[in-house]
Amino acid sequence: MNEDLYWMFIDVANGLLSGSMLGGYYAVIAIGLALNFGVMRLVNLAHGDWLILAAYLAVAFLSMANVSPFWTLLLVVPVMYVIGYVIQRVMLNRVSVQAAERRGMSASFGLMSPLLVTFGMSIVIGQGLLAVFDSNAMAIRNELSFDAIRLGEDLTVSTLRLIFFGIALLMLALVQFFLHGTHMGRAIRAASDDPEIAALMGMNANKVYAVASGISLATAGVAGVMIGMSRSFQPFDGPTFLLIAFGVVILGGLGSMVGALVGGLILGIVQVLAGTYFGPSAQLVAGYILILFVLAVRPQGLFSR
Amino acid sequence: MTTLLAVRGLSKSFGALHVTQDVSFDVLQGEILGVIGPNGAGKTTLFGLLAGNITPSAGTVAFAGEDITAAPAHERARRGLARTFQVPRPFGHMTVFENLKVAARFGGNLAEDEANAWVERVLAMTGMQGQSEQLAGRLPLLMRKRHELARALAMKPRLMLVDEVAAGLTDQEVNQFIALVQAIRKSGVTVIWVEHVMKTMLTATDRLLALHSGRVLALGRPQEVFNHPDVRRVYLGA
Repeated sequence: MNEDLYWMFIDVANGLLSGSMLGGYYAVIAIGLALNFGVMRLVNLAHGDWLILAAYLAVAFLSMANVSPFWTLLLVVPVMYVIGYVIQRVMLNRVSVQAAERRGMSASFGLMSPLLVTFGMSIVIGQGLLAVFDSNAMAIRNELSFDAIRLGEDLTVSTLRLIFFGIALLMLALVQFFLHGTHMGRAIRAASDDPEIAALMGMNANKVYAVASGISLATAGVAGVMIGMSRSFQPFDGPTFLLIAFGVVILGGLGSMVGALVGGLILGIVQVLAGTYFGPSAQLVAGYILILFVLAVRPQGLFSR
Repeated sequence: MTTLLAVRGLSKSFGALHVTQDVSFDVLQGEILGVIGPNGAGKTTLFGLLAGNITPSAGTVAFAGEDITAAPAHERARRGLARTFQVPRPFGHMTVFENLKVAARFGGNLAEDEANAWVERVLAMTGMQGQSEQLAGRLPLLMRKRHELARALAMKPRLMLVDEVAAGLTDQEVNQFIALVQAIRKSGVTVIWVEHVMKTMLTATDRLLALHSGRVLALGRPQEVFNHPDVRRVYLGA
């Protein structure tokens, strides 16, 4: 009896622990999507494909230099930032809500057209990756894949996931500091609050959006490298991760950074516990049931402002 | 006196609806120019055209001797043109200090330290020192109106477009705002002031521009404009 209780405790503790670790990883996957929506009211359907592109960039980098996969971040993050900045400036700013209103079109047109444009982008990225890398599954080799840290006799945590969790906390703190403590961050918040007033205050909202989009893809860069290090991936895997990111953002509230972390943690823990008690197939189902439940009860998300 | 803003033949139509028709006037450096007109006279559209958030169908706007007709709103703001709204529109999720600082850094082109010092001065001038860390979206209405003026002032503008601050206020509150707008003018800012409350316009402005159906009805000293037969006809039906 006593032993039963012990194992029950261990199951729950393991579930909470590895669920939290998974949640941190989910949060990183979702930050970019949350930022995009929070600032520009833009639902980026290509978000998952950008993650996969980042993973392939890391693979390409590692094929040239034999270093720890973590070093790839030094290349992937700035490259993704530039891509985000340019795409926003030359493409997405032209189809935004504000652009639609400027041309005298209804705002709903401005909500619809970025969906179509990013959907198109998603297809282009997937096909582009297929053309360059072919459809074989890839993975970013690393020595930590099977490492675990033993916290107790029956309690362990994956080293890689623990590192990812640390990176997630660091990234969320950095984004939060950037948004609240810096000149450009305040500008991004102002432009997200009321773009028309922001322009009247002397802000070039298009430029501010480009920076926000750059940061969004830079975080996608980190997430992409993490994905590549934790599992194998193929050119058309993007939508799987888009779905995870949507789940996190729906749970946490669109556009909220703290929400992204909490949403990630809840989704991760629920999935792992469901997997522990009802088998692996329950893992995904439990996640989606939770998302549906939150959508029904609190559609603005748990942390929406 | 030199001309700060020169408006020539400014027109705006939305389809068959002509909201602004062939409007021309000058704003002199350092004056308070009042703009009056009944509802639908085109006052707010005129502000939109001047601030750059509405593009004109015809006509030109020159600011400090330069043609700014094609300049976008953010560029006009950086040149020294600030606009407030009748219904205040603060960045609600940011503090009062942050609101003003964004205005000072962008519109005012001020560096970080200069902006901090300037914002403190603006807060003092507008009587908002105590509200600095308050979320702007949580301010009560009267403070929101002050905030709207304070944020425009934080841009270090040369010309401020003030849209109906007196609406819905008591006489005493209106007097406070008249004093504030006059203090703003005294600090070297030229003001165009749209207001419904005629009494305010008569006492607080140097000249009046009367609009009706998007056209200029009369322009001159407040009392002259007020006594102008066309203006009396439109306002009093006399």
